Amino acid sequence: MLVLGQTVNQSASAAESRYGATAPKLAEQQSSVGGPTPTTVAEMWSAWCARCHADDGSGKVKEPTITVEPMDFTECKVTTPEPDADWARAIAKGGPGVGLSPEMPGFEDSLTREQISGFVKHMRGFCKEARWPSGNANFPRPIITEKAFPENEFLLLPVVSHATEPSSASATDVGLVAVYERRIGRRAMYEVGIPFYNWDFQTSRASAIGDLAVAIKYAAYASTTTPRIVSFGLEATLPTGELYKGFGKGTVVFEPFIAAGTMVGDWYVQAHGKVELPVDTLVDRAYLYNVYVGRDTSAAPNTWTLGVELNGENRELWVTPQIRKGLTGTGALAASLGASIPVKYRGERVVSWVGYLLWEFLEPLRARR
Amino acid sequence: MGRLFALGILGTIACAALASAAFAQAGSVTGTITTTAKSLAPVRVTIDQKVCGAELADQAVVVDAQGRLANAVVVLTGVKPFDSLTLAQGKRAAAAEPTITNDKCAFAPRVQIARPNANVKTTSKDPILHTTNAQLENGRTLFNVALPIAGLTITKPIGNAGNVRLSCNTHPWMRGWLVVTADAAVVTGADGRFSIDNVPPGTYELRFWHEALKSAPQRITVAAGKPTDLTVQMK
Repeated sequence: MLVLGQTVNQSASAAESRYGATAPKLAEQQSSVGGPTPTTVAEMWSAWCARCHADDGSGKVKEPTITVEPMDFTECKVTTPEPDADWARAIAKGGPGVGLSPEMPGFEDSLTREQISGFVKHMRGFCKEARWPSGNANFPRPIITEKAFPENEFLLLPVVSHATEPSSASATDVGLVAVYERRIGRRAMYEVGIPFYNWDFQTSRASAIGDLAVAIKYAAYASTTTPRIVSFGLEATLPTGELYKGFGKGTVVFEPFIAAGTMVGDWYVQAHGKVELPVDTLVDRAYLYNVYVGRDTSAAPNTWTLGVELNGENRELWVTPQIRKGLTGTGALAASLGASIPVKYRGERVVSWVGYLLWEFLEPLRARR
Repeated sequence: MGRLFALGILGTIACAALASAAFAQAGSVTGTITTTAKSLAPVRVTIDQKVCGAELADQAVVVDAQGRLANAVVVLTGVKPFDSLTLAQGKRAAAAEPTITNDKCAFAPRVQIARPNANVKTTSKDPILHTTNAQLENGRTLFNVALPIAGLTITKPIGNAGNVRLSCNTHPWMRGWLVVTADAAVVTGADGRFSIDNVPPGTYELRFWHEALKSAPQRITVAAGKPTDLTVQMK
């Protein structure tokens, strides 16, 4: 039952300090009562947790005493994307603390924070395969900055801008990019994105698809102890959009990129840089860079996250303040909204409203009953 | 100052005398809850037998040989707060902070009364993992806390959204109930009897609750200085 919201992240040390601070020490409690006392985390797991989660963490027990099917902790692709903080929260608060089954009880009144931390470490050990990136580097997705952690997600990213230039009269441009992302193996991911546009074109509105984008990404560096990750990728856009209406670039464009993330205190810091290399040499190259800084307002998977991005393209620069919210208890459905405000060439550029609706389709949306 | 003090003493004595007089004029409501239902077969235990035993009585319906029903709740509406009443000993009366004890893989007591917004203590005498999973009757979870060792006591609020059903996620047969009411209320004992004393004369509604059986409310009239006795069958 212990499936954790995926996109809210705290450092392991933050998780350790948050829960169980006032809990009595079990050894002290038990010594006054008598009876056998499990003393190590492994013994506690066997005595208590294995009833539902099994000794090996698979959740497969002979005589289940609960109605939900526990999560298989040996399945690395499901468990590794979760940050330690979510595991600790589930142990401390029980299933509802991370939007999951209330059949998982809370242990915050009976375990110390060190013991909860020990359980998190013990549970991490159920995944026996090496080189899975740690979920501690699985940060909330910014709106524009590419996320370094590989994901299984479906995204809708709307963009709405209203022209302020006198020559454009009153023009509202609407874009919507649909993106499908899927992990490959332990560290890689591919994605496919299709943009749709509805623009003012000459005297009427025009709707069309834009340039189809496909990309691969690989997490080349992911620390297992600290929340740091660096990924490289290559994106290619295909000229499926109509060039003369402004819906596409009219050429294949290769876009190598790098994405990285870390935490500074409680702040997420994510950066992303890429170069657009058109096959048609008449089309200009572009250099893009994005930096995001943000933080959660609570430890719950469906918390509000506040952030701001700097988005640069060649000599242009935008600042994009944004707010993100998990829409379900697990955080598997989330939405973000921001405003992309031009910092340079303000007379020629307009504010765009940007955001996303995100669905982590392998994660449960809520507790199963 | 001395006169004021004397007046205060006199006033206190007068109030106490009036209160005593009022209680002296009060009546009481007593009775027996019966049923034609039979006690249930014991639950066969296959988990933690060293602590729980090989089988446990199913306390969902506890009836004696005369058909008298235990663990039924009798609520006298319209008398608040019930602290002003003397709830008869021998029956489990409402406590300010009810304690739920996990004892030999059963909640003890099985049924108890709690005030709205009370803090409830849960503890365990068993050296095995129990959970106290408190849910409203609509299934909403109030809390679910782990009690992995004997002797640990955890306090949680229950709010005021209705009766609370208790279960244990490691021992599925375990059930308990907190009947949440601000009215005078008692739980019947093993002999099916109940008694609510020091009830001011008047007309009241008496309501009955049981986890598996039902009975319609009754209007009763309490007279000064004598008990109002009744027998109620729950089906």
